[in-house]
Amino acid sequence: MQRESSQGYITRAPRSSGLADVLEILLDRGLVIDAYVRVSLVGIELLTVDLRVVIASVDTYLRFAEAVNRLDLRAVDDSKSVPDLINKGGEEMAETKTKGAVEGGMDAIREKIGLGGRGDDDEDDEENSGSRSRGGSNDR
Amino acid sequence: MSRLYLYGITRPRDVPERIRSQGISLVVDEGRAAVVSELGEGPIEATRRNLLAHADIVEQLHEETVVLPARFGYVLENREDALELLALPEIESLLERHERTCELTLRGTYEESVLAEIGAGLKSLRDAYAVAPSVDAGIALGEAVGEALHDRRARDASLVLDAVGPLVLEFVTGEPAGELAAFDLALLVERDRVEAIETRLEELAGRLSPPLHFKLVGPLPPYSFVRLALPVVA
Repeated sequence: MQRESSQGYITRAPRSSGLADVLEILLDRGLVIDAYVRVSLVGIELLTVDLRVVIASVDTYLRFAEAVNRLDLRAVDDSKSVPDLINKGGEEMAETKTKGAVEGGMDAIREKIGLGGRGDDDEDDEENSGSRSRGGSNDR
Repeated sequence: MSRLYLYGITRPRDVPERIRSQGISLVVDEGRAAVVSELGEGPIEATRRNLLAHADIVEQLHEETVVLPARFGYVLENREDALELLALPEIESLLERHERTCELTLRGTYEESVLAEIGAGLKSLRDAYAVAPSVDAGIALGEAVGEALHDRRARDASLVLDAVGPLVLEFVTGEPAGELAAFDLALLVERDRVEAIETRLEELAGRLSPPLHFKLVGPLPPYSFVRLALPVVA
């Protein structure tokens, strides 16, 4: 039923082939006629659990951090073939924007995972700048 | 009189014999028909078997003719309810609208290497985490990755829409499901344009892959484009 396209960049399926496709489509979409019919369903709760993954969780962030740390970044850093994502302007903007958001969210996250209070902030900043220069010299 | 499970609404003249032989019957009102099967008492179970059967019926019909697929789980109490539904002017106009359309669902997923690309732009946070892998540093880095990924998703989704936009009648943006999911789009297109769209996507995928991979499903019945604007019934 499923095939790769000629160049292999697209997985192609003529019909909704798996349960996941079907679930999403039939439970979420299609003709809705609540005004005219009565519906009673069982079993949907079970099927839809875990259908969606919540992205903005501490868990996810830590996993991202792990992955980024683990992947071989040196190769990417030096590569000329990696497209626009690394281009200078975008990178700077992204970092500044991110920083604000990260610091803003920190207290909330600390609270959530039961880490220490506000006093930590200053120390963190020192640690960060320290490690930044250390990291920099490592690269050379 | 037994209740009727509703699969969708179609043009009765085009319903192939093999569908009728699968325990499916039609309630016909002039040029419109409700595709139903008789149902006993009790609730409908949303089992794998039932869901796939529903999809199979509407997708078989769609191969031959226009069909407005019903969301899973609708039951009409009797034939009169079905006729009342068919008589709605909105049903006729939806049937006309979708005479030659189909839906393509397009999902984009990133390979894990996207994280390496993103990480390359987050050097200071990455270094901080590598030197002192505390929870805080991890969250700071991970959150920055999440945000960059979010921007990347928006960028790639709009590249796709730019590429296929001129060939598409309408589209719906879904919520991408999964950490490395890029986008989830439903495209409404003329049936005879499916190939042209596939060609364009192939070109685009060639430029964006890796790390982006596309999954294109269809031609499907217009699941995402059959919103009824019904009057509220007391």
